[in-house]
Amino acid sequence: MATSQNPFVQADGKKPTCMEMLQVILDGEATVEQKDYFKTHMDHCMPCYKEYNVDMAIKELLQAKCCGGNCPEGLVEQIRSKINSTTA
Amino acid sequence: MEIEEYIPHQKYSETEKQDIFNNEFMPHIHSMYNFGYRLTLDRDDAKDLVQDTYLKAYRFIESFQKGTNAKAWLFRILKNSFINDYRKKSKEPSKVDYQEVETYYNSEEVDRQITPDLRVESLKDMIGDEISNALNSLDVDFRTVIILCDLEGFKYEEMAKILDIPIGTVRSRLHRARNLLKEKLKSYAKSMGYNNA
Repeated sequence: MATSQNPFVQADGKKPTCMEMLQVILDGEATVEQKDYFKTHMDHCMPCYKEYNVDMAIKELLQAKCCGGNCPEGLVEQIRSKINSTTA
Repeated sequence: MEIEEYIPHQKYSETEKQDIFNNEFMPHIHSMYNFGYRLTLDRDDAKDLVQDTYLKAYRFIESFQKGTNAKAWLFRILKNSFINDYRKKSKEPSKVDYQEVETYYNSEEVDRQITPDLRVESLKDMIGDEISNALNSLDVDFRTVIILCDLEGFKYEEMAKILDIPIGTVRSRLHRARNLLKEKLKSYAKSMGYNNA
């Protein structure tokens, strides 16, 4: 794929490394064009394919296990009552 | 308060204040509690931190512009409260020089993968607290960027504002944090019997 068509190339013309492209994807900063380009890139770049899958699995695991659920019961009421007592 | 965010920019009636508080601030309370917990690693401290944050947010509500990014504003207040009020008294080990780490990580010599052999299969078997423990074991500055990006979906620009650091630093800190997290997960995978994790 020609560098000029690579949507990850910055204004200064510097060609991005695989890791730089992967980071943009992982960090949720990629445009639709960049996502499409990276998908095609992974078809012929096994290290990127493997690393992408591991990184996405970690991300999914984080979201499934570390989002923590709800805040403790009564906290909302406590906050409201403190605010009411200060504004009264 | 010397922080620009706390300078009042508009005047709200009591009804408007209540409306902003209920409709723009309160919907984020569960995310805020999780952020507080992941920073303090203590449920009582997290509760106090969230309460302090909401009280501050109400006190300085006139520095918040209705309809703008309430979540990022609240996260920023919570992070500042954590640094000013909680981090001092926490028993965290002494810190490394992050500027040094970040400069190192911005250099070309380290543009490599630290743990290329962690496998998806070994991650799928982590059904307990491994990922949570691995996240909690990271130093708070690295932990924070993972939480903001991967759990809360903040963008570089929002994270830079929340953390008061340049976007380039957000990017390099995230890169470093991901590698550290992978190193931790790799050792968990090895302990679970995946020799080539």
